[in-house]
This record gives sequence, C-alpha cells and structure tokens, in this order.
Amino acid sequence: MDRLFELQSEFWVAAVETLYMVALTLLIGGAAGLLLGIVLYMTRPGSLLSNAPVFTIVNVIINFFRPIPFIIFIAAVQPLSRLVIGTGIGNNALIFALSLAASFAIARIVEQNLLTVSPGVIEAARSMGAGPLRILRTVVLPEALGPLVLGYTFVLVALVDMTAVAGFIGGGGLGNFALVYGYRQFEPAVTWAAVLLIVVFVQIVQFVGNWLARKVLRR
Amino acid sequence: MALVALRNVTKTYPAPDRTGAPVVAIDQVDLEVEPGDVYGIIGYSGAGKSTLVRLVNALEPATSGSIEVDGREITTMSERELRGIRLGIGMIFQQFNLFNSKTVWQNIAYPLTVAGASRAEVAARVAELLDFVGLADKARNFPDQLSGGQKQRVGIARALATSPRLLLADEATSALDPETTQEVLELLKRVNREFGVTIIVITHEMDVIQSIATKVAVMDAGRVIEHGPVFDVFSNPQNPSSQRFVATVVKGIPSPAELAVLRERHDGRIVTISFRDGDASQAAVFLELARAGVEFELVYGGINDIQGRAFGHLTLALRGPDAAVDAVIATIAERVDVTEVG
Repeated sequence: MDRLFELQSEFWVAAVETLYMVALTLLIGGAAGLLLGIVLYMTRPGSLLSNAPVFTIVNVIINFFRPIPFIIFIAAVQPLSRLVIGTGIGNNALIFALSLAASFAIARIVEQNLLTVSPGVIEAARSMGAGPLRILRTVVLPEALGPLVLGYTFVLVALVDMTAVAGFIGGGGLGNFALVYGYRQFEPAVTWAAVLLIVVFVQIVQFVGNWLARKVLRR
Repeated sequence: MALVALRNVTKTYPAPDRTGAPVVAIDQVDLEVEPGDVYGIIGYSGAGKSTLVRLVNALEPATSGSIEVDGREITTMSERELRGIRLGIGMIFQQFNLFNSKTVWQNIAYPLTVAGASRAEVAARVAELLDFVGLADKARNFPDQLSGGQKQRVGIARALATSPRLLLADEATSALDPETTQEVLELLKRVNREFGVTIIVITHEMDVIQSIATKVAVMDAGRVIEHGPVFDVFSNPQNPSSQRFVATVVKGIPSPAELAVLRERHDGRIVTISFRDGDASQAAVFLELARAGVEFELVYGGINDIQGRAFGHLTLALRGPDAAVDAVIATIAERVDVTEVG
C-alpha cells in the first residue's frame, strides 16, 4: 500500500496517458472507420452506389488486417509508423497503430449498423427523388444513429483494453503502469489500483454511451 | 393522352444461380392510365404487381419496352433526370416507410426539401397537408407514437407534399384493420376527387378495388391478363385465369369442394345463375321458375355492389320433371347467364 502512495504521481500521469491515447485514437480511428464503413455500405451489391471493385477491395483489406492480433500488428506496422509520424515507439506510435487497427474494426461495426436501416425507408426516400449522398446524410445516418452510438461505445471500451499493451513499444498508460510497477515488482495493490481505475473509466464510458443512445432513440 | 403508358414492357432479374434461367417478373405488359383514373392492379402475391408499380417511377429499371409518364419516355433517362420525374410521382407503402428519426412534420417536409422549396414554402405546405389528413395536432410526434392508420395518413401527406399528379399506392392498406382501411381509402378518394390526383392502387384485396378503383387490371405470372372498367372485369371476366382469380375474391360462386357438399345435401339439378346490373331482374327469373311449376331452393350465392351497380351469382337447386326443368333453364338462359353445375 505504501508503495502506491510513493507512486501517486506516476499513477496519475499513466491515467492521463491512457485517456490521451484512447481519445486521440477514437478521433482518428473513429473518423477513418466511419468513412470506411460508409464506403462498404454504399458500394455493396444492390446498395445506393453499388460498385463491385471498390467494395471487394475495401472488404478484402479489412478482412486481411482484422484477424492480426494487436500486439503483432503493432510490430508489423512499426516501419510504416516511422515513415508517417517519424517514430516507431512511444504513445504516439501506439496511437498510430491503434487508430489503424481500430478503423478496420469500426468499419465493420458502422457497416453492420447502417445495414439495420430498413430498405423500405431508403426506397421511400428514393421515390421522393433524393440522390444517394442525400439519402446517406439525411436518412441512413440519422436512422442508424442510436445503434451507431452504442457501437462506438463498445469500441471505446475495447480501445481502453488495447492501450494496455503500449508498454510493448515504450508507451505509457495504466496498463504499462500495472505491469511495470505492480506485476514486475510483486505489488498486487499497485496492479489493482490500475485495474480499478480502468473499471471506473469503462463504467463511465458505458453509462454515457447508453444515456446518449437512449436519448437518440427516445426510449 | 394517357398519363402513364406502358408498351410491351418486360422486366427480368438475373438467375438466382449460375445454371438457372433469368426470372421474368414482368412479361410484355401494355397498360394505359388516364388522368383522373383510380387504377387498381390486382393479383395473387408474386404476380408482379409491386415490380410493375416500381417501373412507373423507375425505382426498378425496365429490361425492355417503353414507359411514358406524362408524355415523357423514362426508360432512356439518366438517374439524375429520373429524380426530377420522381418528384412528380408520390408513393405510399404497405409498411408506411416513415423516417423514424424524424417528426411527423419533418417527414412531410422531406420531399419539399429535396425539391428545393424555401423554408416558408415548406412551412405553409406542411401545415396545409397536416390539416388535410387531420393530423395537425401530431406535428411534433414521432412515427412510433402513432397508430397504423395515422402512420399511413402521414405517408399520404408526405407523398402529396410536392403536389404530384400521380400517386402510387403499394398495398397501402394491407397492414391495416378493416375499419382503418376504410378511413384510408376514403382519404385516397378525396385525394383523387379534390386534387385530381391519378392513383395506381396495387392490392390483393377485392374490397379495396371495389371501393375506390374505376378501372382494374388483373395480373398473373407477370402478365396483365385482363383489364377494363372494374364492373366489367369482375362481373364478367373473360380470361380463364382471371375467372379463377375473380372467383376467389367475389362472393357467390361455389368452389368445387363446396359444390360437392351442395350436391350431397340437395337433390335436383344445381344451376348457377349470374346476374349483372341491367340484365333481367331476379324477380323475373323467380317468376319464370314459379310459372313453369319448378320447385327451387336457393343453396348458395351473393350479390356484389361496385360503384352502385350490382352483380351476383345465385346457385339454385331445381326440382321437377326433367322436361320442365330443361324448358325453364332455356327460357331463363335467354335473359341471364345460366351454368348447370351438377
């Protein structure tokens, strides 16, 4: 317990690092995933802008990268990370790898949620003379907003989980804190302090997500 | 000039698997809808009715043939031009297809926004339509707070927003109970009468045709097998398939199974007499039977009313000396259709 008090400042730095990594990944990966998911949805056969080559290419890329375990993915994209952001280690390199991995997963979640919009509603909009992009913007996205909010909440919780391996490439965060100061130094109290804070984060995220989705769905 | 004219229109879908033949949904259909018509299209499910109506606003492209809407050929138009055509054609659906994330007001405003109306125009038109369908107090409600009948009234208001000349109704009452169905049909009648909107009604329900349609086309396996004024088609169908279809929706003609039961229960000769408005009256027929001394019993039948004109089928068991029965059947047959069924 005493050790935990000594490590107080490291603990809070780690907490802020986790928040920083999750927030930035959600922003970058979330936007890229949304875009990819929309491309998948719009270009799939029989959809508003169906385009077999585009759909197949995006689909194959996502299927290729998605099954790669994240810790291996980090190592695999390290050269690319150096090329794009100038470094292969640290929190920012983790954000780069995580954004990339997350965007593929988010693309699938976005695609699935957009597919829940009833084809009849889209047909109705078409019968009123609306074009594909207008239908996407004014019908499909608003109709799917509730499930999308829940989908992103799910992703956010998963991101907290995935940032725990940041230490692997010299990053920080609560996961790294728990491993370095708790696990390796035989201090279960330190490990558990990190675990509890992560649980609190996740609970808050889930609560806010559910509240937002309820508001959007009006139930 | 016809508002909608289909000439030799065919629609095929690619085969469901590599080895199969393409599926023919619409097979060489000709159809003309005049301005002001309420044109019913009736047939079993799978007959191609919904596909046919989707060809008219080009939600589905035709495979071959010509489709003219308001004098303009639409089969050769680009998608962008078609959007302009669709603004002039309203459509309502069996499942209403309202936007659940938008209020009633926003639902009705949607097509106006697509058409590029100004904010003031939208507000005025939506208020007018809400009033017309009697839902002024529901403007701020969401669709999931409405009953089925109210949802379809919103659907109708939304379809009429851009003041189209043509309204397509795809099984618009099939998800509603009988009472609500009548309400919605009354509303459609008003749309036709007050705004002069031409309506194409897809349905499998005879009641719908009977209460609002002026003309009807019977579809079977992608073909229009019979068309004409509703009274003519239903009181005297010509094509064997349409006779079969009409027999299932018109009261009064016993099915073969029912006929077998009738034959068992009644002796004598069983004949079905078909009356049409303008033919000899029932009274004259019964008088003829009485005069011939033939004993008769009414065993099956029904009288239908289509826009104030009656037709029906009565099945009688006739008992008496064979010669007398033969003679009286011959006499009656001069005036009305008589079919000996057993």
